[in-house]
Amino acid sequence: MVLFASPLIMHLEVFAYPFIFVSLFFEVFLLVTFFSSPARAQRDRKASTKTPYIAMIVPCFNEETTIRGTVDSLLALTYPKDRLSIVLVNDGSTDNTKEIMDTFAGNPQIQILHKENGGKHSAINAGIEMSPQAEFVGCLDADSFVAPDALREIISCFDNPRVAAATPAMSVYKPETLLERMQNAEFIFGIALRHIVAAVNGLYVTPGPFSLYRVSVLKEIGGFRFGHQAEDMEMALRIQRHGYEIDNAPRARVFAKSPQTVRGLIKQRTRWTSGFLRNVSYDYRDMVGNVRYGALGIMILPLGFIAVAGGILMFFLGLFMSGRQILSTILVTSGVPLSYTLSPRSLEIFYFPISTMLILSFVVTGGILMFMVLGKRVSQTPGTLVQGMLAYLFLFPFIAPFWLLRSFADVTTGHKRSWR
Amino acid sequence: MSLFTRNVVIALFITGVIIATVIYSVSYLDHQRIVELNDIQNRLATDTLSIDTQFALLEEAPCEDLTEGTALTHELSDLGDKLAFTEEKLGATNPEVLRLKQQYTLLEIRDYLLTKRLANSCGLHPVIALYFYSNTPGSCADCDRAGYALSYLRQTYPKLRVYAFDYDLDLGALRTLVSVEKVDAQLPAFIIQGKRSYGFTTLEDLEKQFPKSLFATTTTATTKVKK
Repeated sequence: MVLFASPLIMHLEVFAYPFIFVSLFFEVFLLVTFFSSPARAQRDRKASTKTPYIAMIVPCFNEETTIRGTVDSLLALTYPKDRLSIVLVNDGSTDNTKEIMDTFAGNPQIQILHKENGGKHSAINAGIEMSPQAEFVGCLDADSFVAPDALREIISCFDNPRVAAATPAMSVYKPETLLERMQNAEFIFGIALRHIVAAVNGLYVTPGPFSLYRVSVLKEIGGFRFGHQAEDMEMALRIQRHGYEIDNAPRARVFAKSPQTVRGLIKQRTRWTSGFLRNVSYDYRDMVGNVRYGALGIMILPLGFIAVAGGILMFFLGLFMSGRQILSTILVTSGVPLSYTLSPRSLEIFYFPISTMLILSFVVTGGILMFMVLGKRVSQTPGTLVQGMLAYLFLFPFIAPFWLLRSFADVTTGHKRSWR
Repeated sequence: MSLFTRNVVIALFITGVIIATVIYSVSYLDHQRIVELNDIQNRLATDTLSIDTQFALLEEAPCEDLTEGTALTHELSDLGDKLAFTEEKLGATNPEVLRLKQQYTLLEIRDYLLTKRLANSCGLHPVIALYFYSNTPGSCADCDRAGYALSYLRQTYPKLRVYAFDYDLDLGALRTLVSVEKVDAQLPAFIIQGKRSYGFTTLEDLEKQFPKSLFATTTTATTKVKK
């Protein structure tokens, strides 16, 4: 500690306060909504006994390692086999996906289509065309696996005729590495988030792994589009624009394979984030701040932008402040033995650096962890969460800014990236 | 009122309550720090006055009974650390901080004078360093480094007594000390064993200004950390 106070320097953390306030407000809003009647009703809803005709479409592009497991999980669904059709669409794969798909050719429940590569949206549309009798169509990415009761859980959302689509509870398939566990914790946070936001009809994405759609609405509003590499987001926004609702089934569990490298993760998330920015900025700008779209227009979409901007700003702020602190410490302590500099100072409570920013940051972080626990409990997702939470706390803040920055740069410069 | 609007209103209210509670708690803790500093300062003032009075009563210093002077200096230095931390946290212009700093400076000057009297009367040879710094932005580029180096020396060599003064503090007694000691406004300024010097380059250069006896009294363990 310096003997006497250094000159008072400008406190840059003041720029972080608006984001801390917005984060805290949003968490409190989520908690209040979690205990409100629509969310409670969503949690209390029983798995449906109805058996409408459903077609599950599996669009594939080079998924030779996972496609068999995906199809097996669909075949294991506790749903009448004569009421469930599985459509495998090979979107011009260049690996062994075609051969593996063809091994299912004899199964009466399964239809197979091989087509030229045209993008995920074209594969889903082709699958929908092959299922004219379906009342509902689902989409399951070929690197995802569903729990046996997931379909019965998710179909119950459609008892409300205004519901055009329903989303599942997504987590990571068998997370083992620290990176996978971190993503699993984040996904489980997403389970709580979707469950709660659905209670105020604020969902703007129907994720590729196991979202279900009402066919009559798809016919009315049109099929899937390219959607800036985020066709599930584009479709969800279109559903909302047409005044329909998107519900969530918090116990319809689906497990998705997650990127296993930081580079892969950044690439995937850059696609998601730039997909959000492009869809909302270009094609659905009118919905942002529009009271007609309720929670989605007034709160969720604007918060999406604030989250991107805040993430980037907080990263640079943190980087600058840490850099300045380190530099200042080096300058001040140079020449004095390192053993003195590194020796622990007084542990008196007097010196504990309690500040409003520190406590509010702890409250917001605690809120995120609390929602992870809630997400796990609500969805009854198996497995442990502690390591994932720790990885989320200590890894996520250092990785996320990279995809936020990359997405922002891509959108502002018009740069397009390949899917993989 | 829709469910969404109702929940937004409730959330805004709860968020406001949380933030207000946090701000109140932090400000309460800051206030408690000030209260603690006040307590230490009052105690030190009483102790210093008591020793002063003993001097006056006995004419000749009862040296064996005044050894608590050393303990007082240590406590004064602990108070200085706490005041520096509080100043950094609440700002150098905070009125409470300024008031405490003025009182602290007075205590320092009295302790300095007392130490000199004790040294003369009892044949003690304390190593005394007066250090003048400034917290005004841009007026003393090397004060942070000089302060840190002195903190290190003070901690490593317990015999060393450092009295640090904010050169810009508006206090009559300090102005008198500056005038008596003839300290120019070239900061950082040091008076080590009565000898004035200005500026700070390295710890080694600063150490050269102290008598060798200071370093001879160091324990083996402390000497090891010295370059």
